[in-house]
Amino acid sequence: MLSALIWIPFIAAVLIGFGPRSLDSRQYRSISTIVSSILLVLTIAIAVQFDPSQPGMQFTEFVPWVDWLGLNYQLGLDGLSLPLLFLNSLLTVIAIASSSPTLDRPRFYYALILLLNVGVTGAFLAQDLLLFFLFYELEIIPLYFLIAIWGGQRRGYAATKFLIYTAVSGILILIAFLGVVWVAGTESFDYEQLRSAAIPLKTQLPLLIVLLIGFGIKVPFFPFHTWLPDAHVEASTPVSMLLAGVLLKLGTYGLLRFGIGLFLEAWAYLAPWLAIWAAVSALYGASCAIAQQDMKKVVAYSSIAHMAFVLLAAAATTRLSLLAAVCQMVSHGLISALLFFLVGIVYKKAKTRDVNQLRGLLNPERGLPWIGSLMILGAMASAGIPGMVGFIAEFLIFRSSFPLFPIPTLLCMVGTGLTAVYFLLMINKVFFGRLSDAVTDLPPVRWGDRIPAIVLSLFIIVLGIVPNWMSRWSEPQIASLVTDYGRPHVSVNERVSMTRD
Amino acid sequence: MLSADKIQPSKHPLAEYVHRLESGEALLKDSPENVLEVVGILKSYGIVLDAYSRNLIYISKNQFLVFFPFFKYFNGDVNFQKLFRHWWHDRINFEYAEYCMKAMFWHGGGGLDSYVDTPEFKQLAEAAIQAKFKNNIFILGLHKLFPEFLPEQVRMMSYYSALGQFWRVMSDMFMSLSDRYDRGEIKTIPQVVQHILDGLVADASKPITYAVKIKGKTYDILPKSAGLTFLMDTAVPYVEAVFFRGTPFPGTISYNAQAYQIPLYQSDFTYGALYADPLPIGGAGIPPTQLMQDMRHFIPEYLHAVFRKSKRNEDDLRVQICQTFQKSMFCVTTAAIKGLAPYPLETTDLEQQQANRQYLETWMNRLITSRVENVNG
Repeated sequence: MLSALIWIPFIAAVLIGFGPRSLDSRQYRSISTIVSSILLVLTIAIAVQFDPSQPGMQFTEFVPWVDWLGLNYQLGLDGLSLPLLFLNSLLTVIAIASSSPTLDRPRFYYALILLLNVGVTGAFLAQDLLLFFLFYELEIIPLYFLIAIWGGQRRGYAATKFLIYTAVSGILILIAFLGVVWVAGTESFDYEQLRSAAIPLKTQLPLLIVLLIGFGIKVPFFPFHTWLPDAHVEASTPVSMLLAGVLLKLGTYGLLRFGIGLFLEAWAYLAPWLAIWAAVSALYGASCAIAQQDMKKVVAYSSIAHMAFVLLAAAATTRLSLLAAVCQMVSHGLISALLFFLVGIVYKKAKTRDVNQLRGLLNPERGLPWIGSLMILGAMASAGIPGMVGFIAEFLIFRSSFPLFPIPTLLCMVGTGLTAVYFLLMINKVFFGRLSDAVTDLPPVRWGDRIPAIVLSLFIIVLGIVPNWMSRWSEPQIASLVTDYGRPHVSVNERVSMTRD
Repeated sequence: MLSADKIQPSKHPLAEYVHRLESGEALLKDSPENVLEVVGILKSYGIVLDAYSRNLIYISKNQFLVFFPFFKYFNGDVNFQKLFRHWWHDRINFEYAEYCMKAMFWHGGGGLDSYVDTPEFKQLAEAAIQAKFKNNIFILGLHKLFPEFLPEQVRMMSYYSALGQFWRVMSDMFMSLSDRYDRGEIKTIPQVVQHILDGLVADASKPITYAVKIKGKTYDILPKSAGLTFLMDTAVPYVEAVFFRGTPFPGTISYNAQAYQIPLYQSDFTYGALYADPLPIGGAGIPPTQLMQDMRHFIPEYLHAVFRKSKRNEDDLRVQICQTFQKSMFCVTTAAIKGLAPYPLETTDLEQQQANRQYLETWMNRLITSRVENVNG
């Protein structure tokens, strides 16, 4: 069943890529929307059959692949990957549906989007380290082309920068994976087998540091973040949505799955430093967001700040904090996708994202009142206003991290406070006041432009009101990350005393 | 070289408009599109004015000194259907008519403003008050304590009536303009202006009177003997109050009077219809969302066709109505300027031309910050 999520979009990507030229962009968009909708339905069907009370992997699949390399086609789904899988399927549908109906080279575009889906889905499902690495690398290629071909004016620069950074990220992850297999002395890259291997703390530490930098580039955390604002600014709106909504989550997913899963002791040892790193990254991202004049850059730096909260929660490594990390990944995926989508609509209509040129877009007659209202909602959700998913995720993070790392947590809370500052500055400039003379003749916004944003907003509100619908998938299973395999769970007190020593 | 007996070109910043008026044209550029828009919008305005006029007169007659006139917008016909429609807001916004009445009342001007402060008016008002509250010791006691309150209400009622009578004439005038356009008699903007001017002149001396019936007896409030007439006592103060001065609105733009963002003198106000920003931001001028919302129900199909051609189709209908309405208001203003001019504007007599020039430049001084250039842009 899990293979269907990988092979259906793969086959569809090949068929679309070599599809007839007689079909136009709109028709290819419809076909791709149908394919991605099938994947979403399939994901929902899997979620319905998924038993949250059972810890460990479900729907496992195993096919021996390259024996001499220790590489197997090994898939599985647990409470950590299921929410992200759903997020990926949902955002792929929305991204495809909101793509321009008049794209150049539509076959290549939709094939790449579906291949991107394959890479991300595969990475979330892979239970073999090398298989994960292959999928992780696979998603880089379509994303590179999506930015390089359909991006903005500096797309070449942004795409190359993205490629270099993520290639380095991949190399570091591969080094860490090879290292762990080598020191564990296993013959395969099987995740479960490697988790049970006893690796001394001193060996774990360098491997974890390499892994942290590798995934830290992907998330990204300060100071490995510089590729992200460029990539976002140059990427088209659907690609930005996927990039912020799902692709960044590969980094945090990797940290939780492999950083904590394979190097728990080293993780606990480094945890105080990780919390400080999270605080620095959050404050840096928020401070940069305040200074931006491009709406998309504001949202991009906001992403850096908010993804740092996941690191803070992961550093705490309690059951609650890990659940909070998962919630924050889902929350940020929905909110950032919404914000990038809305910024994309503003750009599409006003032909600029410069906050100094835009003004009064909430004007009910000639502005973008729906888009502006949803932007305010998105900003409120991002700032952690109660009643929306952002509040649940951030409250859980701060609640679970504060007893362990009070100062970094407080600094991150300042970061979330700054979210309100930079978004209100942006909203005040762009949406309030008299409509700027430069943009008084905006074309109308169609319902097709509004519906994706409305769908995302509904998820943000519903999951904010009924957070159990989000957490129930992960809650019982998250614990297994820190307690399984007879290894002693490093308690909060032990970790604090280790830090003091 | 210009001859000595020919008037020199104006050096006013709005000299173009001075010359336009002197040559018999209007403030609004003449074009078939402008004629279509102006006549179309005035038709819908005429229908709305008819409703406003009827309601203002109804209030002045039937809600006289009613302290809580809950159903004043229902014209005496209160039923659930009308009540739900009222709450649903898909109705005529009579509030706009009251806004105009209050603007006139506040800015004053003309004979009506003077008359309501005369002892004669106070006497007539007092008679009506005594009749209305006969045997009502409580209200009469309060009236003794606060003797200015009830007469002020009567003054306001007088303005309700006066504006209602003014709009009655204007409504008919705009409807007949539309009829003439439909018959092919109106083809240019100067003809539109002339139609309005003729209407104003024809009714210039029409008396403005007001009387209320209390317990079967009629009480004069504005008797015919007061000599109040349509043109000088309602039309001119109306143009001054609603077209030019208006009132600053609260909205996304906040005016801070202490920071001198509002002129010290009412006569310097420029918040009227000729200055209004068509974008509904609560800025200067008429409250567009009310009047425009009313007019949109009665736009003739040929004007809808024009609006539909715009980039946003009719998404921004109220803004388009406001822009078109402003065009029409510059035609009405042209008629008022022409009607009040000391000499015919097309005169060839140099002295008369000079007097007219001075007169026109005084008007233009007031229009410098108006949207006259926007509507002609």
